[in-house]
Amino acid sequence: MSRFFATGSDSESEESSSADEITPKATGTTFNKNKEAFTTNLILCCPLRFRFEELTNIIKTIRNAMKIRDMSKCLEEFEQLYRAFLKSKTIVDKEGVPQFYIRLLADLEDYLNQLWEDKEGKKKMNKNNAKALSTLRQKIRKYNKDFETEIASYKEVLNSSTNVISLCRCQDEESESDDDEDSEDWGSDSVDSGGESEDNEGAAASLAVVFLKKYKDGRRKRHKKIEQVEEEVDEDGEAEEGGWEKVKGGVPLVKEKPKMFAKGTEINSAVVIKKLTEILQARGKKGTDRAAQIELLHALSGISNENNLGQGILVKIKFNIIASLYDYNTNLAAFMKPEMWKKCLECIDELLDILFENNNIFIGENIAEDSENLAISDQPFRVRGCILTLVERMDEEFTKIMQNTDPHSQEYVDNLKDEGRVCGIIDRLLQYLESKGSTEEVCRIYLRRIMHTYYKFDYKAHRQLLPWVTGPFSEQDQEESEGEDSAIIMDRLCKFIYAKDRTDRIRTCAILCHIYHHALHSRWYQARDLMLMSHLQDNIQHADPPVQILYNRTMVQLGICAFRQGMIKDAHNALLDIQSSGRAKELLGQGLLMRNMQERNAEQEKIEKRRQVPFHMHINLELLECVYLVSAMLLEIPYMAAHEFDARRRMISKQFHHQLRVGERQPLLGPPESMREHVVAASKAMKMGDWRTCHSFIINEKMNSKVWDLFPETQCVREMLVRKIQEESLRTYLFTYSSVYDSISMETLSEMFELELPTVHSIISKMIINEELMASLDQPTQTVVMHRTEPTSLQNMALQLAEKLGGLVENNERVFDLKQGVYGGYFNRGTRTRP
Amino acid sequence: MAEYDLTTKIAHFLDRHLVFPLLEFLSVKEIYNEHELLHGKLDLLSDTNMVDFAMDVYRNLFPDKEIPTLREKRTEVVAQLKQLQSETEPIVKCVLFYIYFCFNFCFSMQFRQEYLDTLYRYAKFQYECGNYSGAAEYLYFFRVLVPATDRNALNSLWGKLASEILMQNWEAAMEDLTRLRETIDNNTVSSPLQSLQQRTWLIHWSLFVFFNHPKGRDNIIELFLYQPQYLNAIQTMCPHILRYLTTAIITNKDVRKRRQVLKDLVKVIQQESYTYKDPITEFVECLYVNFDFDSAQKKLRECEAVLVNDFFLVACLEDFIENARLFIFETFCRIHQCISISMLADKLNMTPEEAERWIVNLIRNARLDAKIDSKLGHVVMGNNAVSPYQQVIEKTKSLSFRSQMLAMNIEKKQSHANRNEVKALCSFAKILMIRPINLSCFLFVLSEKKIRIARCKL
Repeated sequence: MSRFFATGSDSESEESSSADEITPKATGTTFNKNKEAFTTNLILCCPLRFRFEELTNIIKTIRNAMKIRDMSKCLEEFEQLYRAFLKSKTIVDKEGVPQFYIRLLADLEDYLNQLWEDKEGKKKMNKNNAKALSTLRQKIRKYNKDFETEIASYKEVLNSSTNVISLCRCQDEESESDDDEDSEDWGSDSVDSGGESEDNEGAAASLAVVFLKKYKDGRRKRHKKIEQVEEEVDEDGEAEEGGWEKVKGGVPLVKEKPKMFAKGTEINSAVVIKKLTEILQARGKKGTDRAAQIELLHALSGISNENNLGQGILVKIKFNIIASLYDYNTNLAAFMKPEMWKKCLECIDELLDILFENNNIFIGENIAEDSENLAISDQPFRVRGCILTLVERMDEEFTKIMQNTDPHSQEYVDNLKDEGRVCGIIDRLLQYLESKGSTEEVCRIYLRRIMHTYYKFDYKAHRQLLPWVTGPFSEQDQEESEGEDSAIIMDRLCKFIYAKDRTDRIRTCAILCHIYHHALHSRWYQARDLMLMSHLQDNIQHADPPVQILYNRTMVQLGICAFRQGMIKDAHNALLDIQSSGRAKELLGQGLLMRNMQERNAEQEKIEKRRQVPFHMHINLELLECVYLVSAMLLEIPYMAAHEFDARRRMISKQFHHQLRVGERQPLLGPPESMREHVVAASKAMKMGDWRTCHSFIINEKMNSKVWDLFPETQCVREMLVRKIQEESLRTYLFTYSSVYDSISMETLSEMFELELPTVHSIISKMIINEELMASLDQPTQTVVMHRTEPTSLQNMALQLAEKLGGLVENNERVFDLKQGVYGGYFNRGTRTRP
Repeated sequence: MAEYDLTTKIAHFLDRHLVFPLLEFLSVKEIYNEHELLHGKLDLLSDTNMVDFAMDVYRNLFPDKEIPTLREKRTEVVAQLKQLQSETEPIVKCVLFYIYFCFNFCFSMQFRQEYLDTLYRYAKFQYECGNYSGAAEYLYFFRVLVPATDRNALNSLWGKLASEILMQNWEAAMEDLTRLRETIDNNTVSSPLQSLQQRTWLIHWSLFVFFNHPKGRDNIIELFLYQPQYLNAIQTMCPHILRYLTTAIITNKDVRKRRQVLKDLVKVIQQESYTYKDPITEFVECLYVNFDFDSAQKKLRECEAVLVNDFFLVACLEDFIENARLFIFETFCRIHQCISISMLADKLNMTPEEAERWIVNLIRNARLDAKIDSKLGHVVMGNNAVSPYQQVIEKTKSLSFRSQMLAMNIEKKQSHANRNEVKALCSFAKILMIRPINLSCFLFVLSEKKIRIARCKL
């Protein structure tokens, strides 16, 4: 930094520090340092020099401490200053009290008074500082009494000088309109103004006159410089505004180079590279102005572009611009500002443009800095840098932005619109890497592409499957139909990854996304087979949380897919794990559960927040729960009816039972409102074998709007559901009421449940074969004849008792086996013998 | 009929030479165009050394054209054969000598690698020329001589199997098959993908053996259905094999374990129903999943046509139809208690008289508990429902024995323990030894609470 600025003139750097708000204050002080050292050297001859240098050094530290409000440091330094001053007493007596010393005393007092009055600020101070402040204030008050006259005269001069300054500033403003911001700063920031005026002060022999003169000189010089710069700018034909030019610190240097370019191109590229490394060296250092760096790099790229320095350098600079854009946020957890991110997007786009236009650029992480070839255009350019990493980072930032935007705001929608651009960039990079990248890189970019595809429902392909649906989107349709079917893309990308990937993680993710995509598009068998063949269930618990979340999402989607296909049992099994935990929201990464702080501290919460899936990828939780409950109902109700007297009945779904119990506990039963209440009411109806009521509870206006309309093939799903309800109700009916009938005609049953006769026949046959229903069919009359094996209550008791006896004997045997070594403890209780 | 023909699918996994029998079969059945078939044959032959055969085919295909390059090829092949023969002869002699006189010669004398390679090449050449018996013979030598780690060891096994199959030497083929299977299963070197491929090949080749060997149908079930690796291979690579598996199961004579096997089969068929379907698997599905007897009947008729046109299955047509009928009938009986014979005859694809005779035979052979009501033309099933009493008996039957065993065990262990206590146990065992029917009445009084007391006493 210092090296860079040292070459520029002081007044220029002054400008930059005051004009640019983002610039940290530290920059200003660095220049003062230089200046001060310089001036003291000039004025004081050798014998004095040593003493005064010591003093000025201490004063510098004090001023620094003042700026950061470090009172204890101030106090310490002040005491040192006092001692140093005493030491140089002889010289002081000869020469008189040096002006800078007086100045400091005056400023310090003012400053302390100001601080003292600022109650708010004082409260905020820590204990040490507050204590130091009060002691320092007392000391300086006492001490200043010795220099009362000097201070008074100094203050007088200061007042008059500010007047003059403002006067000459008026003149300035007339001549230079773009000096505005500068003067504003001058007046408003009192602490700074002290620091500023100090520059000129060291050189002053007679206070007022010289000070002013010097100051004016400085101004004049500055103006000259500015004019000069502007001239240069004009010469260069830069369309940039002069005032804006001034904002950035290093401009003069950068500006100087175009002049050098005239001499010979080869030197120029070397110089630009040198400049670039210079800028880059500041990267990551404390106190570097990151925004300025970005601007600098932009300017540099503009220059190299103008002078046709070749694409190599341009690519290199672009890389660094993007990198410094990412650097802008030091905190990894915080998200980039959307504007910054968009800038970054443009940069990447431009970079890709360059890469596509020029086939002779090689980029790679493993190209060493020294083997880079940026300038020589005969040979292919070699540039260090990895565009894939940049794009990945960009994508991650996008996710972060989406995570941190309120999903219900317009802003979210606006941000989401950029997703298309992200996809576009990924697509372009994919094309690029397919021709140039290594397989690992291709795998990585493929995974990115997959990650942007898998959760999107391909409406176009869906519509092609249903040719009779002619929507109003026919125009849009034609536009879209040019693109490839997402299923084909997924297949191609995933298969490549399966074959080529060597890191397990990418393959796992690809498999899961592939399954998800299959499931989303109702390709149940493919999805299931892929899931089974990948054996992911066995070792998914060892994966990292994001992959686990993806796994959960996939399982849920698989379950929902099975439900749509009418495979209730599979649906139930797939959803059981997620739903039974009661933490579906958390497991799917769609929100945090309220928990007390013992279980999770702030740090963990932050980490968990970072894992959240952006809102547009969410799976509807109500849909999920409804699908689960309905499938549980279809399984559980007939099961309950069949095992009414079974002593060892076990529950299929705990959650469903819980809902039923909640429903029963209510004292008053109104018409169902929520989705759960609907399912509970439907279950009750089904228990009685009343499929019509059950149907009306499951499929009605409310449920349609809440749940069923969310499916792409709504109509099919509803039909499937009705059918399942009819079948399961029939089974429940037979289980529940078979003891009442001696025989029952299948025709009646088919009428009751509005099922075709063969279906009824098939269902009953299945029940008979599986020995669920003790009956047989009478073929000539088409009736079901019950065998009356349903035991009476007495027999039932006997059966249960017999079963319990069996259990008892079994238990005894187990106890015996268990205690075989030290057997007899039970029997020997009371007796003392033991083998 | 071509839609159910699997020859194209199967041929992917077969050796060139093994496809010839299939093509021959097809040309007899006349499903496909004769001309195309001959073309196919010629293509097949182009890469083999069976030049004479190729010339025959060519003449059949283009009777009026001169045979092009084949003649030159023939002389070339003959020359090569001669050369190889001369190279191999001394080796074979030496091998024979050693095999007869000192069996473990390959350990005593370093048999040179080149000799083995020559032997192998000669065997392969013989095979390519269609001289399978010669190939089998030399491969046998080769196999005896080489260690299992040799790169040609596996290939020689495949070659031997193919030769035995083509010579229709089923016993030897079966042996080779088992050996090959062991080699594949114990191979730890090859990647899973390679193993999968090998298994798929083995599955296809084994069809030749299984459907011709008398014990093949048991083995096929054992191999395809109960070896998870092979079942996986079928499910992932070649679901069409399910047809052969299903047929084998249906025609299997073993009644005892048939029910379990069927259950497993139905599971697999259902799982794969989206990738593979043909009348045979659909028949099983109709019968055991949907209990739709009408469509099962329809499928059975289709099955007939499929079986006739399948190279492997044509031999078991009779068996299949007979057994399938029996399956339908059995399932039907388990569901119904009263069936009219005319309907049954219709379902079983027989005349009523035939059907009646068939049923009578079944009843007489005690395979069916039923009576015929000839007045109404009904078959009435015996009632086989289990009464609750019976159930109680069933449940408590083993209890007394088990308790006795327990008591004895305890007695043994605790011979000097408190007699009273053991007596309590024995008395409880006695309670359980009461005749179960009485027990049910008795237990009515003895509520659950009392059982708990009894347990406490224990």
